[in-house]
Amino acid sequence: MEPTESSGAPNGQRRTEDGGSGRNTVGARVDRINDTAQEAWTRSRDAVSNLRESLDIDGRVDRNPYGMLAAALGVGYVLGGGIFSPLTARIVGFGLRMGIRLAAIPFIKEELLGLAESVGDGSGEAGSKSRRAKQSNINKGR
Amino acid sequence: MEMTDQIEQTARELGDRVRPQIEQARKKLTTFNDEAVSYIKENPGRCLLGAIAAGFIIGRIARR
Repeated sequence: MEPTESSGAPNGQRRTEDGGSGRNTVGARVDRINDTAQEAWTRSRDAVSNLRESLDIDGRVDRNPYGMLAAALGVGYVLGGGIFSPLTARIVGFGLRMGIRLAAIPFIKEELLGLAESVGDGSGEAGSKSRRAKQSNINKGR
Repeated sequence: MEMTDQIEQTARELGDRVRPQIEQARKKLTTFNDEAVSYIKENPGRCLLGAIAAGFIIGRIARR
């Protein structure tokens, strides 16, 4: 049976009228809570250190500090609910536009070079036609 | 010809005047970068938690 708590003991101190026969006092409960809290703290610290070791966070930060900071910023952004926001839509749209433009640069460059060559040869349309014919021959070969 | 020489002279003087400042700014930026990297390497947990918190706040603001 659980021993009863002694009443009237100031500040949770154990009353000595029972001769210290192991009665559970408020002080003992506080001690137990303290022990439990310390154990929980130790366990959570161990869990965090285990996670850090398994994910090799220190090594990753050593190798790429700014990248890890950016990744952490992104994780926080997602956790903050910013992923389906107008700002994200604008950023993604801007990135897509830039990506498409950057991908189109080689084609535009090639076209401009071809145009410049044909103009330099003095046979603008003929050069373009011959290039188109070459391209179609290549495509047929595939 | 004289005009070209004058422009060239002016550009050279301007370059000589600006070059030390650019060099100084470059050194300062390099020092700042080194300090930031060493701080992040010394305190990875704090920096990552701070970055997550900053991202969280930005995400909260962006959601509105």
